[in-house]
Amino acid sequence: MTPQSPGDGQVSRRNFLRNGARVAALTGLGAVVGTLVHRTSSQTTVWQIDPSKCLRCGRCATECVLDQSAVKCVHSYDLCGYCELCTGYFVPEPNALNTGAENQLCPTGAIQRKYVEDPYYEYTIDEALCIGCGKCVEGCSRFGNGSLYLQVRQHLCLNCNECAIGRACPGDAFRRVQVSQPYLLKTSH
Amino acid sequence: MRRGDALRSPGSSGSNGSRRDFLRRNLQAGGLLGVVGALTASGLNVRAARGSAENPFAYDVGKFERTDANLIHYAETARFQSPRPEPRRLALGPDGALHMAAGDSVVRLAEGGAVEFEIALAGPAQCLGVARDGLVYVGLRDHIEVFDAGGQRTAVWSPPGSKTWLTGLAVGEDDLFAADSGGRAVLRYDRSGRLLGRIGDRNKERGIPGFVLPSPFLDVEWHRDGLLRVNNPGRHRVELYTASGDLELAWGKPTAAIDGFCGCCNPIHLATLPDGRCVTCEKGLRRVKVYSALGEFESVVAGPESFAQSVPPGVSMAKAALDAAADAQGRIFILDPLAGEIRVMTRKRGTTAA
Repeated sequence: MTPQSPGDGQVSRRNFLRNGARVAALTGLGAVVGTLVHRTSSQTTVWQIDPSKCLRCGRCATECVLDQSAVKCVHSYDLCGYCELCTGYFVPEPNALNTGAENQLCPTGAIQRKYVEDPYYEYTIDEALCIGCGKCVEGCSRFGNGSLYLQVRQHLCLNCNECAIGRACPGDAFRRVQVSQPYLLKTSH
Repeated sequence: MRRGDALRSPGSSGSNGSRRDFLRRNLQAGGLLGVVGALTASGLNVRAARGSAENPFAYDVGKFERTDANLIHYAETARFQSPRPEPRRLALGPDGALHMAAGDSVVRLAEGGAVEFEIALAGPAQCLGVARDGLVYVGLRDHIEVFDAGGQRTAVWSPPGSKTWLTGLAVGEDDLFAADSGGRAVLRYDRSGRLLGRIGDRNKERGIPGFVLPSPFLDVEWHRDGLLRVNNPGRHRVELYTASGDLELAWGKPTAAIDGFCGCCNPIHLATLPDGRCVTCEKGLRRVKVYSALGEFESVVAGPESFAQSVPPGVSMAKAALDAAADAQGRIFILDPLAGEIRVMTRKRGTTAA
């Protein structure tokens, strides 16, 4: 190291302070920009489930930080077959094709069944009861057209920085989407 | 003395300090390794837990995925890969040659699955039928194209309707029958392409309930007894019609058990054996079975345990739909589009028809 002359001491201190101020200013600026970027990002994107990756594993019902999951079953009526024997509504081997609790697949009875005309029935989801377990989704996807699927309902979701369900999702189906298009809707077979 | 010097000269007076330093560094390194190891292990555990945790809401059809061995009357005698991607349907020619609709083509296959002959199409072939004179009828989504034995296109029939979605073809004595899932009817044509009539339209006076098709899987088979076999998946049954459209017989029941048709809508595809028995293919629980000519359950050709049951996410049901064809010797060819395979099933010795 080059020995410093005693006269250089003041200049060094000034330089030191100047450099220190610069570093502090840059750090502060970085922090402000980082916070803004993060805030903007979390305000412009939300969590959503890609239906083409969803494995219907049941984690949406058990992993959400909310008491009752923000994930709900949604219904694409364009895809629905309005089946008399809906495999999203009935257990695999029902006693009868009626609304008896023992015949229903949904653990909370969140699907309503309504007669339309022979042999068609309409099915609607009561979101207040739905826990997002995906049992109906598996039944519908496995045997039917897949008109039932899971989506994060944005008016319920807390939009956590790290989604607890997404962390546990074995299909990596959770991803951030633009808040302007917050749902990944199924529209075709 | 500096620490580095002590380490460099163990015999020096500062050797005690070096040992301390040496041990401290080893402990630090060991601790660091431990932390890294623990983090790695916990990461692995998280990943393992992601895949293996039991689903308390599982949709359980496990007991229907195993077949009683006594009910399986067929054994696999050959299996080969589809020579073309996206295989969809099978049909047999008059000489027993296997034809397959795959992607944008129809291929004729030799015994081992080699391509003997190929017809290139302008779009995906949805279904096909081969006549006794060798003409090949191919159903594209909304119209039928006819090819001679040399593969030359001889006719293109105009689409019968704006909603037409052809999903099955059967060649009769003098007619061609086309299953139109979009129009929910079987269309009867003469061999020149003139539409002669519709079969299966809902008609209370004639006792015809109409086809219920939650998904496009209407199929038709013609047998030399003169009757058409048509599946009615939403009603879980097979219906037998005359060529003029009279409903003669219907059989089948909804159940996940082996003797019926599972899920919301099955069977999806049919084949007929020389003696009039009917081969049915199902989705959901992917299985192939044989019923007597009058509709009594007889046996299983290939049970659910024979096929991959879970259709990968994002793969449409149509791309996993089993199809079958039966030849004059009673062999049953099964097409598994998901695996891209064709299996040849032969009746086991000692088993008898119902």
